[in-house]
Amino acid sequence: MTTLRQQFADQMVTLGTSDPRVVVMVGDISHGILQPYAEACPGRYFNIGICEPSMVNMAAGLNRAGVIPFVHTITPFITERAYEQIKLDFGYQELAVNIVSVGGAFDYSQLGCSHHCYTDVSLFSHLRRAVVMLPSSGPELAAMLKQTYDNGMINYFRLTEYAHGVEFEESEVIVGRGIKVRQGEDVTIATTGAQLRNAVASADALAEVGISAEIIYFHTMKPFDSKLVHESVSRTGRLVTVEELSSHDGLYSQCIRSCVGIGGLVARQLAVDDFIHGYGTYEELCATADLTEASIISAAMSLTNGREDQRGSD
Amino acid sequence: MINSDLRLTIAEIVQRSGEGHIPSSFSIVDIVEHLYGEVLRYDAANPAWDDRDYFVLSKGHGCAALYVVLRKYGFLTDQDLLDYGTSKGILGGHPDLTVVPGVEASTGSLGHGFPTALGLALGLRIMGKPNRVFALLGDGECQEGTIWESANIGANQQLGNFCAIVDWNGSASQLMPIDDLPAKWSAFGWSVTEVDGHSADELDRVFGALSMQPEGVPTAIIAHTTKGKGVSFTEGHGKWHHRIPDEAEMAALKAELTS
Repeated sequence: MTTLRQQFADQMVTLGTSDPRVVVMVGDISHGILQPYAEACPGRYFNIGICEPSMVNMAAGLNRAGVIPFVHTITPFITERAYEQIKLDFGYQELAVNIVSVGGAFDYSQLGCSHHCYTDVSLFSHLRRAVVMLPSSGPELAAMLKQTYDNGMINYFRLTEYAHGVEFEESEVIVGRGIKVRQGEDVTIATTGAQLRNAVASADALAEVGISAEIIYFHTMKPFDSKLVHESVSRTGRLVTVEELSSHDGLYSQCIRSCVGIGGLVARQLAVDDFIHGYGTYEELCATADLTEASIISAAMSLTNGREDQRGSD
Repeated sequence: MINSDLRLTIAEIVQRSGEGHIPSSFSIVDIVEHLYGEVLRYDAANPAWDDRDYFVLSKGHGCAALYVVLRKYGFLTDQDLLDYGTSKGILGGHPDLTVVPGVEASTGSLGHGFPTALGLALGLRIMGKPNRVFALLGDGECQEGTIWESANIGANQQLGNFCAIVDWNGSASQLMPIDDLPAKWSAFGWSVTEVDGHSADELDRVFGALSMQPEGVPTAIIAHTTKGKGVSFTEGHGKWHHRIPDEAEMAALKAELTS
């Protein structure tokens, strides 16, 4: 299976050869797979060093000189470690950048908590000019890059390691709009990133026990498609959110804000609370974090059992 | 002493507004004035002129010095200075590039301006432009990790179109007594020159000898300066770092600067 990171490297060849303003800086990661870009775009690729804050600082200077910078490295190092640079150099100074991270959540599942990150989406969302995206399939990434890379904004792309398995057409991916993946009546499952895979599997299982689950998917967290959430939850009255983000300020928060005024709403959140200690496969850490098909089924059933009186009451 | 008039204006705007760093500004004002008077290419009527040299004040808290120099050379007005530190104006205790003509980076958090300026130099080279980039750092600021991360990058990327000027007024040695800045910058691969940062002749000699090319060894000019230079009681590292003069102190300050 082709990783999202490889697809990013492939996309950069296309983007870099079509726009001479595009420059890529990396913090000693993806160096090998970006060599086709480096060869296709001589003088516009820099493996700048293991110094993420300075790399982000420098990207601001690049943009002041007319360059469209792409900065790429591991999620916690370029978001949490370099956040003051992102905030001041691009937020305060109103400059433009494309920040592309890998290893969000616990994709580096065998490397421990130093390489995990759950707050990145929240951090970027505090910036008025940020566009916050979680492409989790090739068509999403391709569409997002084309739609945003030269928009003069702070574009953040959190690349998942592997795609979620749902085949979208590039044409149906519009930055800022969610996608209704499955129509349902009893409960809304809202998700983002690679957890769409578990959401689809859980909806299949729920259907077998007579529960009709609607799945709405958010590849963009800012701007957030509040309308899609409101429309769905207005019908189902029940919401389960599934996200590889901090439980304090992510998809659940956005959805609940979108549901203000919906009477009788019941909701459950599946998210990350603090560190996930230990090592293993991605799937094993999903289980540790309670981000599984079984967890979604359990959450949905807990909301639907004995609550038939609420459905459609609004 | 040179630039007594600019020092007096710095003290006046700080006293009027009740905000500012007088000694840090007195430490660098001779260097900043020399840059705008003798070194930098710019068009004050068109601050975004494509062919300009870039100056980034990385030690943003010294910005009162930058403001009075920008006024002297036509970027700002007298009214801008009168409105310093107020909601009516565009000038404050750290410079904001989004509103101040001639300011090339919004600095204040130490350790940001220098790497941003290096990025400018790299970007200009990528875009095939011959513009030069200058950044003025504090010696205290050189305790920030990003300074040395970026010093490594500047040397490795051979940013010969870049000149760092370090205001070596001794602030750093209060905390970290091992304070051999010229040796440190040399060790990081920069071409190092030392200068008396308060001598017009010395500044002319050092900046006049600069030869900056898009590719080559970047330059670090280590400027020996005195914090609070020009007024006996503001010199040194005591209470004056962020002190606002009262009326009596202002009168004494004015007397020294106009004598």
